[in-house]
Amino acid sequence: MSRALFTACVCILAGFSLAGTVTADDISVRARKLHFSSLIVDTHDDTTQRLLDPSFDLGRRDPSGSIDIPRMREGGLGGIFFSIWIPSKVTGPEAVKRALDQIDAVRRQVLRHPSDLVLATTAAQVREARQQGKIAALIGVEGGHMIAGDLGVLRTFAALGARYMTLTHSGNNDWADSSTDKPAHNGLSDFGKDVVREMNRLGVVVDISHVADKTFYDVLAASKAPVFASHSSCRALCDHPRNMTDEMMQALAAKGGVVHINYHVGFLSQEFRDAERAHPEINKQIAAEIDKRCGENEACQLLEGDRLTREMVAQGKLPRVGWEKIIEHIDHAVKVAGVDHVGLGSDFDGANMPYGMEDATHLPQITEALLRKGYSEADIRKILGENTLRVLAEAERVSRELNAEKK
Amino acid sequence: MRRSARLVVFGVCLAAGFFLAGAAPADDLAVRARQIHFSSIVLDTHADTTQRLLSGKFDIAQRDAEGHIDIPRMREGGLNAQFFSIWISGKILGPAAVQKALDQIDAIRTVVRQHGKDLLLAATAEDVRRARAQGKIAVLMGLEGGHMIGNDLGVLRIYAALGVRYITLTHFYNDEWADSSTDKPVHNGLSAFGKDVVREMNRQGILVDISHVSDKTFYDALEVSKAPLLASHSSVRAISNHPRNMSDDMIKALAAKGGVIQINYERNYLSQEYNDAYKTVAGDVSRMEEQFQKKCGDDAECQAKAEARFTKQLVDEGKLPRVSWEKIIEHIDHVVKLVGPDHVGLGSDFDGADMPDGMEDASKLPRITEALLRKGYSEADIRKILGGNMLRVMEQAERVSRELQVQP
Repeated sequence: MSRALFTACVCILAGFSLAGTVTADDISVRARKLHFSSLIVDTHDDTTQRLLDPSFDLGRRDPSGSIDIPRMREGGLGGIFFSIWIPSKVTGPEAVKRALDQIDAVRRQVLRHPSDLVLATTAAQVREARQQGKIAALIGVEGGHMIAGDLGVLRTFAALGARYMTLTHSGNNDWADSSTDKPAHNGLSDFGKDVVREMNRLGVVVDISHVADKTFYDVLAASKAPVFASHSSCRALCDHPRNMTDEMMQALAAKGGVVHINYHVGFLSQEFRDAERAHPEINKQIAAEIDKRCGENEACQLLEGDRLTREMVAQGKLPRVGWEKIIEHIDHAVKVAGVDHVGLGSDFDGANMPYGMEDATHLPQITEALLRKGYSEADIRKILGENTLRVLAEAERVSRELNAEKK
Repeated sequence: MRRSARLVVFGVCLAAGFFLAGAAPADDLAVRARQIHFSSIVLDTHADTTQRLLSGKFDIAQRDAEGHIDIPRMREGGLNAQFFSIWISGKILGPAAVQKALDQIDAIRTVVRQHGKDLLLAATAEDVRRARAQGKIAVLMGLEGGHMIGNDLGVLRIYAALGVRYITLTHFYNDEWADSSTDKPVHNGLSAFGKDVVREMNRQGILVDISHVSDKTFYDALEVSKAPLLASHSSVRAISNHPRNMSDDMIKALAAKGGVIQINYERNYLSQEYNDAYKTVAGDVSRMEEQFQKKCGDDAECQAKAEARFTKQLVDEGKLPRVSWEKIIEHIDHVVKLVGPDHVGLGSDFDGADMPDGMEDASKLPRITEALLRKGYSEADIRKILGGNMLRVMEQAERVSRELQVQP
């Protein structure tokens, strides 16, 4: 017995001494330990579109997308916001009903996998899920058009568990301007401000990804709780209207908010964006092909978009973007806004992933890269999820205060 | 010392009270009736008050000169659990129906939030008991008309998640998967999808409400459902021969599966005489509804008021007979004689129907308890009728739901 123990000790010591001689491996061991002991929250995934297909099972490893339970486990993901999304052109009661169907699809997957998933609506519930060894599934509504101009519907979404709402998607809605549409409301309309106030009261985080710069500043003035960008990157590194300028990130940080870096190649890389703009025919070709392959099936559209983009890269028509770009954006945002105001908003299953970040299993690379850059463990934990949980907890506190005021 | 002196005085007073009551047996019964009534869970399974909540003018906390339900009158009537009905016209379908239903659910949840001292949102029998223990009125939600699911089981599950605990399969018109009792049959009862709806309701713990459905739909639902059924607001056809009421055979079949019929106080359903006269002067119910809809559009509160004015005038002119609240007791008693005391309860249709004389609003409910007591009903049976039976059916539905959810 004691001999066996002795041998084991010698081996461990030998291991340590070997690691000591090779610093790189030491860091990667530390990175893995840090990564898998952190609470990692991703604020934006379009996997919900795949859940609408009743035969899709989140419990099975499925390399055609980026997210499933085995790969979330492998990547150490502890909390994930499932996005409820329908195109901006679908409005009114039809939009409401389709949003309900997606919320139902998320809730059903959670029921189907009770030992892996738990529906979470608060920061405390995300931590509790973690303690139980489960992944917290959260709900975010991507596009204010889904409330159909009806605060009652907004309250219903909140009652069903939605914890953020992106005010617009790619098109303006009836009360807010989008960053990728012609301004029609000069930012946020009066009703839009009512929406923000009601979201504050309900504890639903105001998500300013997708909105016009003016809408962003209007939101910042109207909101009593910190707001976040669930999936936006840095405009200073890639000049896309979907990304945030340094000034916007600073203003967001000043109110306690968080920008969650989006991994989409078109938002990460200026070179990629320039190539796309120089050759609009490429995206047209991709769009036509998507249309042919998918029709109205949104899950198919998103996944095929990623695949076809990669084909273009392989043919040399679009530049190849490496996952390290994500680190550049995180580092830039940290330098501009501070380490308390940056997080992860992958856009998995809804965007074109960079090389080396094909799915959730690659997430530990982020931790390792930040560690190598000299980030402290505490700061890395913040970026991986703690910042997001802080905003959720703040939104809950503001909600409690506002409800107490009303009484 | 002083305390015990007070106690003695109190004791003397009590004794005097009993003595006085003893001298007049009628008063003794009235006192006992009030004791029973106000210590029971009184659960009404159908009120259309939600329509008033939508108007924005109605304040549920204030005693209102109109309508049948508000917090003061519920307190006065000992009504401590109420299903608020979510209802839109059966002519509105698809996503529009879904959004309107959500707005009504939101209106109910909002009023509960705003009056947290008096109201508590309840979704289980246990919640109802907890509300009672806290001295609050339990607010429950029932969806009156399957057309509001928009032919989508996902929407049905969303309603369940929001707290809806029964769905009336149809309203006055057939929907796309079930025949109504007041429309021409087109599905021969419940369609194949309608049966899926019933199965999903069982899984979700939503009671299948067979008020409003055609007889064939009722028998189909009875066969498919794994949980007991509920008639949230229907009366006895043997007393008033209206398609909205249940035949003795139906009541027996319902009871055999553990269900409950909740007596509706609408005059047409209570009284044959009134129903006959109504048909002569006004035609059938759905035709009348169409007329009021023409006048009021989608404003259901306006429709209800127009209908009440219309019938009041006819009663005043002597074209419609007066109907007394005692008719409610006749209906209850008929069901009890037929299938025993475990299968009947109260489904007033307050704020949605024409009330009989003497049952003008919720404050009059203690009369029911007193009348049953005078009829010789036991205290235990009265408590069942007032709410215990419905709580049992809710618990059954909860149990069936748990069993079905754990099945792979």
